Amino acid sequence: MADLTLPTTLAVPEWLATLPDSGALPEVLEQALNSPAHRERWKYTKPAPFVAATQHPMIDPQISGETQSGVVLRQSIDAPLAGFDLEQGPEAIARLCYADRVLTLDISASANEPIVINHAGNTRPMVIRVAAGVSLTLIENANAGDNAQQSIWIELAPNAQVQHSRNALDDAPSHWQYLNVRLQAGAHYQLNNHVTGCGSRRQDIHIIMDGQGADATLVSAGKIERGKALDQQVTLEHRQPRGQSKQTVHNIVANGGKCTFNGRIHIHEGAAGTNAQLSNKNLGMGEHATINTKPELEIYTDDVSCSHGATVGTISQDALFYLTSRGIDRTDAEGLLSQGFLRQCIDGPLADQALATLTGKAGEAA
Amino acid sequence: MSLLNVTDLHASVITDDGAQPILKGLTLNVRPGEVHAIMGPNGSGKSTLANVLAGRPGYTVDSGTATLTERGLLELEPFERAQLGLFLAFQYPVEIPGVSNMEFLKASIDSLARARGDEQPNTATYMKQVRELAASLDLDPAFLKRGVNEGFSGGEKKRNEIMQLLLLQPKLALLDETDSGLDIDALKVVAEGVNRYRSANNGVVLITHYQRLLDYIVPDFVHVLSNGKIIESGDKSLALELEAKGYAWLT
Ligand SMILES: Nc1ncnc2c1ncn2[C@@H]1O[C@H](COP(=O)(O)OP(=O)(O)OP(=O)(O)O)[C@@H](O)[C@H]1O
Ligand SMILES: [Mg+2]
Repeated sequence: MADLTLPTTLAVPEWLATLPDSGALPEVLEQALNSPAHRERWKYTKPAPFVAATQHPMIDPQISGETQSGVVLRQSIDAPLAGFDLEQGPEAIARLCYADRVLTLDISASANEPIVINHAGNTRPMVIRVAAGVSLTLIENANAGDNAQQSIWIELAPNAQVQHSRNALDDAPSHWQYLNVRLQAGAHYQLNNHVTGCGSRRQDIHIIMDGQGADATLVSAGKIERGKALDQQVTLEHRQPRGQSKQTVHNIVANGGKCTFNGRIHIHEGAAGTNAQLSNKNLGMGEHATINTKPELEIYTDDVSCSHGATVGTISQDALFYLTSRGIDRTDAEGLLSQGFLRQCIDGPLADQALATLTGKAGEAA
Repeated sequence: MSLLNVTDLHASVITDDGAQPILKGLTLNVRPGEVHAIMGPNGSGKSTLANVLAGRPGYTVDSGTATLTERGLLELEPFERAQLGLFLAFQYPVEIPGVSNMEFLKASIDSLARARGDEQPNTATYMKQVRELAASLDLDPAFLKRGVNEGFSGGEKKRNEIMQLLLLQPKLALLDETDSGLDIDALKVVAEGVNRYRSANNGVVLITHYQRLLDYIVPDFVHVLSNGKIIESGDKSLALELEAKGYAWLT
């Protein structure tokens, strides 16, 4: 399909040429883009505009907190990261090639202040490397604008800890966020993701548990209004023993909204003692809410504990009756219930703004 | 003057196999200041009566009337019945994660105040009142921040229902097995709550299986509901008789 063709020939930057298995990178990427597995990830969203936009001119994100001691921001990158993935993120790798620069944040000591990244448009790729035992609070806000894209790789050295909060609450015509996180032994990563649908918003999240006893949590709340779309593709790979992962994703879809969630858990051979949980709940608010949710499990080892659930429902009639039986009218009761549904997944430093946008209410998060 | 009047009520539950008649000509009259206990075997229609009066979806009224303060109930939405002064303490209160008890109670009293044309109570006053009520029912005030009934024990859920009864001050309280699953201390706390609510202006319909509750909340009338109809009415001594003899002698 012509859809999944890179817009122009890639010039592979020198530093990327050392990427293992890259061979002739343009061909490898073209192949990855058209593999059946990758096409499946684009089943419900038209890929063409996203693939085409990988070569759009990029600007720097606005970053604060980068001048603290222990933090270094570079306008270049020296070598590929182990988390770079040609198979799953070919568009993101292509973007690395099209970018004139890649920003690198090296965190070598626990920072007092959070690092805040604001994306006011189509921003350059970023690599964030967190050194062993270091903890970091990372705050990311997207105000995407037209055809904006972000691609970020986070590398957690052993026992590093990252609290990542991310809001994408704007109403861009089209917006793509690619996030790849690789955790080494004993590292902890938490993402609080708050998102609205927009013209067409796509979030690819790839978390790789690449060391023993790593721990990852993903909590996401999304609201998709009429005429808006959100497509979330999450892959969580357990490559090493005794990792723990927990994903809780709640999306509420208005009449005429469209939401896709594809949550794949891949437990590799040898990842014994893994505990992986994923719960995706969708609330449709009308007959014409489109919801696609696909749980995928690939388990190649015994001795794992894994739960994976996806539900699509409407507001609970029992809960609605309970609230209305206390004098609250139907519209208000439905409002409380849908807010409550999202609030269960709103937390962290960006919770207030998320509450205001997603539930129309200021107040305490769950 | 009648507070709650139910006359010859026939109602069905909607099941996958069609409508199944449950209430088969039920008549009940509650005047202000009265407490009526309704007893009866499992499946006789006690919860159905409470649900039909409160307007729970899933039931149809086939014939008959029900009024609260002489206003027809059956054609109203559940929230309108509540605004008219009806309150149902649920046999199985639902858990609603994400909606805090505080927020829920505030929405409720604000809605009821608006319906009465009163001003919405000031938040600080309301919080204080809720905290005091919670304490009086042995509910840890920390529960107010939690989701509605979320993670509550069976007994806590029932006490929360009584807390709402005292906060909302309805004209008529329908209590569906509020005593079930309570330990003896909690039973006293709940009974004490109901007695605090009782006044010359309001009424209580108490659905229960146990005469024990009636030692604490003394009813003016006891009715036996069987197969969708009231088949016997009497005073408190009827409950004692039922305790001794069961229901078989009546049917
Ligand atoms: N949603 C429903 N679907 C099918 N049958 C129902 C439903 N609700 C009630 N019924 C049936 O209606 C009858 C009356 O039920 P109801 O709950 O009113 O009894 P009850 O007197 O409250 O019993 P209990 O003492 O056990 O609480 C029962 O036979 C019950 O199975
Ligand atoms: Mg019952």
